[in-house]
Amino acid sequence: MPEPVVVVDKVTKRFAGHTAVDALSLSVSPGIIYGLLGPNGAGKTTTLRMIMDIYEPDAGTVRLFGTVGGGRTHSARIGYLPEERGLYPRMRVLDVLVFLAEAKGVSRRAARAKAVEWLDRLGLADWRLRKVSDLSKGMQQKVQFISTILHDPELVILDEPFSGLDPVNSQVLRDTVVDYRRRGKTVLFSTHIMEHAEKLCDRLCIIARGKKLVDGTLTEMKQAHGGRHVIIAFDGSQGGAAQIFSDRRLVARIQDFGQEAELELAPGADPQDILKALVNSGARLARFELASPSLHKIFVDLVGPEAATAAAVPVPAGASAGA
Amino acid sequence: MRKVWAVIRREFVERVRTKWFWVSAILGPVLFAGIIVFQIVQSVGGAVRHIAVVDSTSTGFGERVAEALSAGRTFRATRVPAGPGVIDSLTRLVEAKQLDGFLIVTNELTETGKAEYRSSNISSLQAIEELQRGLGRLVVKVRLETKGVNPAVVDWAQIPIRLDTKKIARGRTTAESAGQSFIMAYIMAILLFMAILLYGVNVMSSVLEEKTTRIVEVLVSSLRPFQLMLGKVVGAGAVSFFQFLIWGVSARLLINLRGPIARMLGADPAAAQGLQLPHIPGATVAVFMAFFLGGFLLYSAMFAAVGAMSSNEQEARQAQQPVTYLLMISYFSIIGLTNDPSSTFSRTLSLVPFTSPIATPVRWTAGSMAMSELVASLAILAIAIVGVTWVAARIYRVGILMTGKRPSMKELVRWVRAA
Repeated sequence: MPEPVVVVDKVTKRFAGHTAVDALSLSVSPGIIYGLLGPNGAGKTTTLRMIMDIYEPDAGTVRLFGTVGGGRTHSARIGYLPEERGLYPRMRVLDVLVFLAEAKGVSRRAARAKAVEWLDRLGLADWRLRKVSDLSKGMQQKVQFISTILHDPELVILDEPFSGLDPVNSQVLRDTVVDYRRRGKTVLFSTHIMEHAEKLCDRLCIIARGKKLVDGTLTEMKQAHGGRHVIIAFDGSQGGAAQIFSDRRLVARIQDFGQEAELELAPGADPQDILKALVNSGARLARFELASPSLHKIFVDLVGPEAATAAAVPVPAGASAGA
Repeated sequence: MRKVWAVIRREFVERVRTKWFWVSAILGPVLFAGIIVFQIVQSVGGAVRHIAVVDSTSTGFGERVAEALSAGRTFRATRVPAGPGVIDSLTRLVEAKQLDGFLIVTNELTETGKAEYRSSNISSLQAIEELQRGLGRLVVKVRLETKGVNPAVVDWAQIPIRLDTKKIARGRTTAESAGQSFIMAYIMAILLFMAILLYGVNVMSSVLEEKTTRIVEVLVSSLRPFQLMLGKVVGAGAVSFFQFLIWGVSARLLINLRGPIARMLGADPAAAQGLQLPHIPGATVAVFMAFFLGGFLLYSAMFAAVGAMSSNEQEARQAQQPVTYLLMISYFSIIGLTNDPSSTFSRTLSLVPFTSPIATPVRWTAGSMAMSELVASLAILAIAIVGVTWVAARIYRVGILMTGKRPSMKELVRWVRAA
């Protein structure tokens, strides 16, 4: 077992009046994509800021690359993209990138060469001498992204990286993250969007109200929080579905998305009975699938519907693996 | 440290690249050139005035007036006998710029000392003074003559007085005049006030920019907040030194070029040589620089904290007011300081660290400060810089990541206390 890149050990952070992070522990092994999942206000940003040395924990320790101390000491090895990110609007694109790299301890010359290379790669070559404020929002996002990975860090920490990204940049980011893992680097990111977590992460940690609820691989979570699930998609008429779904002998719990639904089977219930009953009631089905629970389902079960609804976005059930 | 150096360089380069830097860099020399040209033009305007002396005396006294005035450097006077329409035609000549003015002399001049001068330009104090002095000497002479005093004796008795003022400073007598050292101290105080305020506010807006654009979070993940603040203050300070350098060098150049400028304006180049910059001793320059540096460090640390605790321009404008008022105290005391640099009031101001950056250089220039006082003033300022920077850095560290409403006094105290 290689030494973890990030170790957060019983870390607590209190702000005036409330505890943002409460004795949280997690550990990120090298070469994986690690997702920190939680509803808004769960303490994700505070946790990442403590890892980055922006906040000092009130209790507990943070270890990076096997040494005590947060991100600032290792800034040349870490790329950090905060949730609220910005650039100097009046500076030239190239100058901003060089400056941000210098602030991490990269030499000016090396930073310049890398910046030019990355701007070329992301199609911003013609913009390098323009002011940041002349760039479109999407282009600025690319520049922010370049500034995070310009110095080829071993560990990339991204706080809600997908929020506000247009679809094209979203894809660029996903590709880069995957490419990073392939090259043996480590990615730690926070999100409240299940789809990203489910598709990208090797390991996950779900937190709420500053506390860890569960961590592990997606498979582990699905096994632990299993139950047998059926995913149903209607094709027009739903027939007598509502009545069948409320039959507690067949269905223990339901997540109803309208045209789709995710059912947790009652103990001893046979999914074939549900299928038969639905067809007989006149429902037209586009999909009937035995599945393990989606991450969304696990998340809602753990966090509670009130906390989850604010943050969680319903995902198409197709995102989950087949049974 | 390389990271701090990067912050300093960014601050410097970005500021120097702005329009405003160059506007003010150019405005300084332009203003200075304006002063030189103004002085040369004045000296040209004061060259020779052609006037008429309208003589309505019964004794033909006007002829002697014209002679006496023409003997001086400023006037070329011609006697015109008074008569109907003379005043009108002379007025027309003045309007047509063929005559600079005319003097009306009556019997009253020798009796009550009253005369009248009409001219298109009565603002040249130098010319009016010479006119008055010339007439005065003549009238005294004539009046003594009527009492039987020998004119030769009168001429012998009247000698012009030239009063030379010299300053005694720190045990030495210098050639510097009282007026010069007053003006020097005054200009210095204004320069210090403007520079500290201007560049302090620059630090504030730079902090605010990083906060409002939210770039600050990336920065403090690589740099300690104190490094960031330090880099910012030093960078802005370097910009102001650069500005001073541009002003100083261009002033030097303009002084050296004043001969050619005078020739261009059609004036005697020799006349322009009279325009001398007062000689500034090296010690004064050193004191000025030291206290500018100290004042700048003290105030920009406070301005940095103000920027950090505000979330937009409007809030910052409000929050900076206490700091600006603190600086204003010394600004409003400049007159008092220059008038009586050794009063208890002045002594106090030069010891309090928030006023000493302006008060001490003024007192030093006015020459009323002992070395021991200077050392004490510097020492207190240095201690204050350390203390204020410590507090400001703590407010800064917490403030830059805060958004929302401005902190109350109580919250600020908690920020400072927070480990």
